[in-house]
Amino acid sequence: MKKFLVILLVLLVSFSIFAKGGKEETKSSKPTVAILTDATGVDDKSFNAAAWRGIKQFYNNEGEGTLYRNITAQSSDDYLPNLKNTAAQGYDLIITTGFTWGDAVAAFCAEYPNQKVIIVDVDYLPQTANLIQYIYEEEQGSYLVGVAAAKQAQHDGISNPVFGFIGGVPGATITKFEIGYIEGIKSVFPNAKIVDYYANSWGAPELAKTQAKSWYDSGVYCIFSAAGGTGGGTIAQAAEYRAAGKNVWAIGVDSDQYEDGLYGDKTKSAVLTSMLKMVENSTIDALTKVENGTFVGGVVTQNMKTEGVGYATTNAELCAEAKTACEAAKADILSGKIVVNKTYAASKAAGIAPAGLGAIDD
Amino acid sequence: MTKSSKSTNKTDQVWIDRLLASEGATSVLVVILGILSGTLIVALLGKNPSSLFKAIWQAFVGYYNKGKGAWSVGPLGDTLTYAIPYVLCGLSMGFANRVGLFNIGAEGQYTVGMLAAHAFAVCIPAFPGQWLFCMVVAVLAGAIWGGIVGILKAKFKISEVVATIMLNYIALYIYRLVALYLFPAGLTNRTYRTADLASTSILKGVFISESNLNIGFFFMILAVFVYWFIMEKTKLGFSFRATGFNKDAARCSGINDTQAISLSMAIAGAFAGLAGACVLLGSLKFGRIMQGQDNYGFMGIAVALVGNSKAPGIFLAGILFGALRSAYSLMQFMNIPREVVNIIEGLIVIFIALRAGLGKVQEYRAKQKIKKAREQEAAK
Repeated sequence: MKKFLVILLVLLVSFSIFAKGGKEETKSSKPTVAILTDATGVDDKSFNAAAWRGIKQFYNNEGEGTLYRNITAQSSDDYLPNLKNTAAQGYDLIITTGFTWGDAVAAFCAEYPNQKVIIVDVDYLPQTANLIQYIYEEEQGSYLVGVAAAKQAQHDGISNPVFGFIGGVPGATITKFEIGYIEGIKSVFPNAKIVDYYANSWGAPELAKTQAKSWYDSGVYCIFSAAGGTGGGTIAQAAEYRAAGKNVWAIGVDSDQYEDGLYGDKTKSAVLTSMLKMVENSTIDALTKVENGTFVGGVVTQNMKTEGVGYATTNAELCAEAKTACEAAKADILSGKIVVNKTYAASKAAGIAPAGLGAIDD
Repeated sequence: MTKSSKSTNKTDQVWIDRLLASEGATSVLVVILGILSGTLIVALLGKNPSSLFKAIWQAFVGYYNKGKGAWSVGPLGDTLTYAIPYVLCGLSMGFANRVGLFNIGAEGQYTVGMLAAHAFAVCIPAFPGQWLFCMVVAVLAGAIWGGIVGILKAKFKISEVVATIMLNYIALYIYRLVALYLFPAGLTNRTYRTADLASTSILKGVFISESNLNIGFFFMILAVFVYWFIMEKTKLGFSFRATGFNKDAARCSGINDTQAISLSMAIAGAFAGLAGACVLLGSLKFGRIMQGQDNYGFMGIAVALVGNSKAPGIFLAGILFGALRSAYSLMQFMNIPREVVNIIEGLIVIFIALRAGLGKVQEYRAKQKIKKAREQEAAK
C-alpha cells in the first residue's frame, strides 16, 4: 500500500510538472472562433467544409490553431461538454452546423448568455441575444439545378428523361432540396418521371452507389444527391458510367463538387452542376459582425437575394441553354414571379410533386 | 562476489515474477505503455507532448474558465459522466467474460436499454419518480436482450459472438423504426428527435453543475458492488466462475451450466441496459433518435480487458477511459490531433492482448526454475 502511494505521488508530481507546458501565445485584433462538428470534422467535402472555407477566407488562411480551430465530437452526448469547454477557453464566437446541435446549443445559450454562438440550418430555437440562427432557402438553388438538368436533357435530345433524387436522412431540410429540384424539372418537363431514395445515413456512399447504378441502368438521366458524404457514391457511379461512354449525370450539393466527379484524364467531370449552399456566407457574416461589434441575436435567412444559394457553372459541358434558363429562373425568383414550395405537402397541393415520394415534412 | 550477484539476480527474478503474476500491475503497465506510445506519436508529429499530459491532467482537475473568470472542475464532471456508460458496459463485457463468454453485444443491450428508457420517458405522462421507473425498465430490456443470446448459447450452442453482433444491428434499427414511427414526434426535425422527454424522467445533476454528472453515477457504483457481490460472494457467482473455468467439469460436479450461461448473459445485458438509460436521461436529456451506434458498448470490451473483468479493475479502467474521452476535446484546443486519443486507446488494447504473451513468459520462467532446481538436485 505504501509503495502504491509513493508511486501515485511520483506520477502526480511528474504529471503536474508536465502539465504546465503547452501554453498558448499570440494576440491579434481578429476575433477567435471555434467550429464544433461531429466526428466527420471539416473534411466532409460538403456542409462543414463550406463553413470552414468561410472561416479560412475570413482569416486569409492565417492563424489555424490559434485564431480559429475545429473541435470534433465522438457522439451526440459530447456536444454540450464541447460547447462548455470551448466557452471556457474564451473564444469570441462558437460556430455549430446542422440541426443535430439544436438541443445542445439551446441549453448552452441559456446557461452562457455572454458567449456568442451561431448555428446553421436551424430557425426554431428560443431567441436569445447571444445566438444567431442561419436558415437557408435551399429550394431556390435546387430549383436552378433542376432546371439545368432538364435543359441539358432537352439539349441531348432525350424525349422522356427520368430524374432521380437521393437524400440522406429524410426531414424537413432535405425535403426543401427535393421539392425545389422537382419543381425545377417540372417547369421544363411537366410530365417528367421522378424517382427518389433515402439512404437514412449521411455517411453511406456505398448505398447511394448501388442505388445510382440500378437507376442509371434502368434509364435515369440525372441524379441529384443531397446526402452529405453519402452523395459521393452517386458521383462515383456517374463518373464510372461517363468514363464508359454512357450519357448520365450527377449533381453535387452544398459545395461545388466538380472535382469529385473528374474521370479519365481528369479533364471532364460527371458532376453537371452543383446546388451551392453558401454556408461560408454565414460564417463570414457572423465573424464580420463579431469583429465590428454588431452581433445581434436572431434568425437570418440566406436565399438567392443574399447570394446564399445558387448553382455552379464550372462544368464546361453544361449547355448554354441550361445556363440561360437558369439565369432567367434566377431573375424570376428574385422578382417573385416564381415562388418555389418548401414542403412536400404544399408542392403536392399545387399539383407539381408526385405522390409516393420518400420526402417528409415536419 | 558470486554470492551477491546471485542474490541480486534472485530479487530481480522475484520482482519480474511478481509483476507478471499480478494482473493489476500488468494493467497499469499496459496503460502507461499506451500513454507513452501516444506521447511518442505526438512528439513525432512535431507537437508538444506535454500538451497531451496537460489535457489528461485537466480531465481530472479542471481548468481556468476564461468565459466565467473562475476555476472550473467541469472536465472532471465530464470524465465521471463518461465513466458511467464505460464502467457499466465494461461490467457487461466482464461479467460474461468470467463465465467464459465473449459478449460483444453490450452495444445492442445498451441500445435497447436506451430505447426502453426513451419509451417510458416520452410515451407516458410525467409522474414523480419516473426516472427510476425508466431505469428499471432499461435494466429489464437489457437483460432480455442479453438473455436471448444466453439461451441461444446454452440450449442450442449458437455462438454468442455471432448472435450478439447481429443483435447489435437489430437493436439499432429497431430503435430507429420504433422512435420514428411509434413515438410522439417532435415539432421540428422529427427524424432526429422525438417529442421532449418528461421532465420527471431526467436524472438530477449532482456535485458538478458545469457538467452532465448525474445520479446515474451512484447507480454505476451500486452496479460495481452488485457485480463484485454476485461474482465473489454468492453461490451463483461460484457456479458462474466454475462454468467459466471449465464448463464440462462444472457440469460434472453438479453445476447447472445452462442456467449459468443464460443467467450471466442476462445480468451482463442488465448492466449495459442501465448504461443506455444513464446516457439518454442524464447526458442527452432530449429524445434523440439514434443515427448510429454510440460505441460505449464496444469500448466496454476494452474497459473490461484493462480491468481484468474484476469489479474494482473495471471501475478504475472506466474512469481512465472517461478521462481520455474528456481529454479528447480538451487536447484539440492544444493542437494535438484528436486521433491520438483513439490511437492510445487502441494501443492499450493491443498491449492488453500482449498480456497473453506475458503469460507465456511466466510459464517459461517457471519451467526454467524447475529445470534449475532439478539440475541443482542432480548436482548434489
